[in-house]
Amino acid sequence: MASIKMNMKRRITFVLIAMFVLFVLVIGKLFIIQFVQGSDLQLKAEELRTRDLSVEAQRGAIYDRNGNKLAISVSADSVGASPQEVKKAGTAKDTASFLSTLLGIDHDTLLDKLTANKSFVWIQRKTDYEKARQIIDADLDGISIVQETQRYYPKGTLAAHILGFSGIDNQGLDGIEYFFDDELKGINGSIVGEYDAKNQQIPQGEQEYVAPQDGCDLVLTIDQNLQYFCERELDKLMASESKPKKATIIMMDPNTGAILALANRPAYDPNNYSSAESSALRDAAVSDSYEPGSTFKIITASAALEEGVTSINDRFYDPGYILVSGHKIRCWRYYNPHGSETFSEIMQNSCNPCLVQLALRLENKQEGLFYKYIKAFGFGQKTGIELPGEATGIMIGDDKVTTLNKATMAIGQSISVTPIQMVAAVSAAINGGILYKPQIVYQVKDGDQVIQDFKAQEVRRVISEDTSTIMRQVLEKVVTDGTGYKGYVEGYRVGGKTGTAQVPGPGGYQEGKYIASFIGFAPVDNPKFVMLVIAQEPQGYPYQGGVTCGPVFAAVAKDALRYMGVVSQVDQVDDTSTTQTTKKVKVPSLINLSSEAAQKALTACGLKAQVSGSGSIVVSQTPAGLATVDSGSTVSIKLGTVNSTNANGGALIVPDLTGKRIKEVADLLGAMGLKLQAVGNGGIACEQSALPGDKIYIGSTIKVTFKEEATQETIINTTGP
Amino acid sequence: MELKRMTKKVDWTFVLALLVLLTVDLIVLTSASINVVDGQPYYIVKKQLLWITGGLVLMALVTLFWDYRNSEKVVHWLYLIAIVLLIGVLFMPEQKGAHRWYDLGFTDLQPSELGKLIMILAFAYFLSKREKEMWEKRTLLTAILFMMLPAALVFIEPDLGTSLVYFMIFLGMVWVGGIRPRVMVIALGVIAVAILLFFTYLGILTDGFNKPLPDELPGFIPLKSYQVTRLIIFMNPYMDPLNTGYHMIQSEVAIGSGGIFGKGWEQGSQVQGDFLPEHHTDFIFSVVGEEFGFAGSIALLGLYLFILWRAAKIAINAKDPLGRLIVTGVVSMLAFQLFINVGMTIGIMPITGIPMPFLSYGGSAMMVNLLAMGLILNVQVRSREEIF
Repeated sequence: MASIKMNMKRRITFVLIAMFVLFVLVIGKLFIIQFVQGSDLQLKAEELRTRDLSVEAQRGAIYDRNGNKLAISVSADSVGASPQEVKKAGTAKDTASFLSTLLGIDHDTLLDKLTANKSFVWIQRKTDYEKARQIIDADLDGISIVQETQRYYPKGTLAAHILGFSGIDNQGLDGIEYFFDDELKGINGSIVGEYDAKNQQIPQGEQEYVAPQDGCDLVLTIDQNLQYFCERELDKLMASESKPKKATIIMMDPNTGAILALANRPAYDPNNYSSAESSALRDAAVSDSYEPGSTFKIITASAALEEGVTSINDRFYDPGYILVSGHKIRCWRYYNPHGSETFSEIMQNSCNPCLVQLALRLENKQEGLFYKYIKAFGFGQKTGIELPGEATGIMIGDDKVTTLNKATMAIGQSISVTPIQMVAAVSAAINGGILYKPQIVYQVKDGDQVIQDFKAQEVRRVISEDTSTIMRQVLEKVVTDGTGYKGYVEGYRVGGKTGTAQVPGPGGYQEGKYIASFIGFAPVDNPKFVMLVIAQEPQGYPYQGGVTCGPVFAAVAKDALRYMGVVSQVDQVDDTSTTQTTKKVKVPSLINLSSEAAQKALTACGLKAQVSGSGSIVVSQTPAGLATVDSGSTVSIKLGTVNSTNANGGALIVPDLTGKRIKEVADLLGAMGLKLQAVGNGGIACEQSALPGDKIYIGSTIKVTFKEEATQETIINTTGP
Repeated sequence: MELKRMTKKVDWTFVLALLVLLTVDLIVLTSASINVVDGQPYYIVKKQLLWITGGLVLMALVTLFWDYRNSEKVVHWLYLIAIVLLIGVLFMPEQKGAHRWYDLGFTDLQPSELGKLIMILAFAYFLSKREKEMWEKRTLLTAILFMMLPAALVFIEPDLGTSLVYFMIFLGMVWVGGIRPRVMVIALGVIAVAILLFFTYLGILTDGFNKPLPDELPGFIPLKSYQVTRLIIFMNPYMDPLNTGYHMIQSEVAIGSGGIFGKGWEQGSQVQGDFLPEHHTDFIFSVVGEEFGFAGSIALLGLYLFILWRAAKIAINAKDPLGRLIVTGVVSMLAFQLFINVGMTIGIMPITGIPMPFLSYGGSAMMVNLLAMGLILNVQVRSREEIF
């Protein structure tokens, strides 16, 4: 009995020891939690109870080069709700129906939000100002108005593709807004407070305020006026008969690489980017690749001149085609070959076989030489412009490229380039030979302090000053005496080149789909800008670059030169080399003239008339008045009646009389049934009492001032658009 | 007379230690329950005080006016009634997913709670009669049947935690009751291997305790997915951080952020901010850890260990094996409940829903635990004089 008792005591002691072991185990784990993991867990506890309330930093503004606001941040009211407070007040249903009517949000969706198991929900971000006032006045439990900032683009669609846009949380999503998001966004501040598990602030808890750091401002190289000129002309082009699918203009300062204007159509309003079609969001100027066609001949010619395989005095012969590796590459005018040509003329005529010949001469001199120049001009690599989504273009690899490829590349085929590459390359060809990196941002500023200055970045010298000088002269001839005549700007020396390429598709080029382009610069002696105009898939005929894009170039260039304060220049073109080409004439304005008077006027200018329709006066003409055409060209005129042109009340459109001789004016007005009151002592009309385009009734009198013939030049130069 | 002599004999050190523990409970609970009932910060602690007072009266009554030695018949009847109640409760309507309670209208009765004490008494009688026969297989099998029947009934309620308490009471009592060490070692070995296999299998099933269990478990596991999750969550609370693991993570954060001396009474952000759920009931030890730190936790655990050591001494000094076994049963019960509760809050034991004895808020647990202390004192005052 005793032994059993002792045994039991021993066993109880054993149990006690077991308990002690467990005790030590617990202490051990406690030690680990409180001392080994303690600091981590302390942080975690702090994280759980402190909550950062973000204080939004103001996003920096974007200015054009003259300090005009292109993108700014304005304050906006957002509606938020604290479901717990709504629940406490028991007003979820009433609040939901009130807000549903006011803000136009579905009632059930709202009710779900108001009863969500969250501490805070947004009801509507960036609400209308008036509605926000009404909500404040209604004083709803658990509903609050939060001040936020909202991005606002005061110029609407202007420069949309450059600026891009930023989202609801002011995060940059596209364009400069995206590319320079880090600079623009600033650093959000915060209010740190202590909260419990039910997300109620602990009143005596810690509080800390960290002030937000506002974002930096950006000054772009863009000039909003030049940008406006480009966009205005693009809009006209899009609305014109040719109705291209897309169009792009880039304007760059060739001496620094600064982008002066960059615009695409279709465009969108960045204030309302979410409703834009995705195709409109694309910045074709940097993201699209296209076959440059004849504009690429500038590159070919520059390279050939630089390498001395040709010279300004070289003579060529165009039989209408050239044989390369057994393939016949035809000239665009194969049916009527150009025959014997000078170096300048092969560019003026955009003669394919002769330019192919230049590329072949380069390759003969040294294998891969032509390719080297293409790369040196920046093709096949990104320009590095500070815009998102830049494409590289497509170049056949060094190892795969054939002589035939190189031959077609000479005329801008078998190579795909981006518009921005093209502008940069041509700038190098005419600015004295230096390739610059295109730049869009001029300065990053914090208030008045300049944080970062973007200086002109020279990439490399591509050709010599002399070659570049020759190229400028040759390209001026292309405009004055060649295929680029549509790009002519009266009173200024302009150089340029047209281009028309077919759109490659599956299985070769697509029938009837073209990309027309014109690249030009002005003034020739000291270029202020290089401008590329591209129209993708213009409808019908004519589709060529010169016809479609040349006038757009001319229209922008005219306003741009005047805006830039470039003094108009007298025609200094050396006339000796133009003797062989046809004479240029200006088409007179024939609208409202009688059929006979119109035909007489055309004959006087050395033009032929093709008349259609019936009626007493001319209602339309092609080409339009003041266009420059080859002498001997045909102008088609359509006849109609006075009433048919102006069905609403017999009003006539006042014709442009300036520059006309007194006899012409009298004939014209007489044919229209208007009276002339002539004043002044000269023979040329320079001022008229009713402006061109105004409406006027038959039988009215127009006062016209005539001056001496000697002043004609100035009159033409100052005639408004 | 007898009563006076017994009062004199009471182990006042033991009682004092218990009273200190109950005071600590009121202090901790005041802080822990301040934010439980809106607008009434002391509602919970006042109720707890009421239960403590009632429990202490009950403890005194049991200590003085009942004798454990001549109640065999009563205990047998109680055993039968307990079994009947444990069977009957299975047919009661489900509450909180289990058939654990009788709804008496004014309060709920949980038969398994009081059942623990009845089983301790009944099993003590059972074993004390068979002191010399414990090596016989038949005796052992009967003993297993005797205790495992109520444990099984509790298990299928389901109330895994309480059934484990029954099992631990059984283990403690058969050990002290004289089971052969070899049998005990083999039994413990088998249990250990079973647990190891169970965890290995579930470890594989959860990709090394890194992802939650599937909703449907293989048929041979007699538990539901959520029950098993509660058993294995301590291996890695982040395998289910938002549900089952949430309590454990918050508890470890609370204790871990306490440091050496804690954040101070009513200063624990985890508790006061309501991040730690059940902080006045199952997770009250985390409050001690957060507000009183490592030092406070050790002091509290030391107090428990002191009480249990004192109880073990009482067992050793008991007049007869019956008393010794009764105290052993109570000590096993309290020690296991303590360990599994504290182990849960520090992440080394499964979540079983067992409250911390004398500290967690809860009327019936407090009453039963104080009654159990009454059983210990009952044995103590009737033990041999010469010890003191």
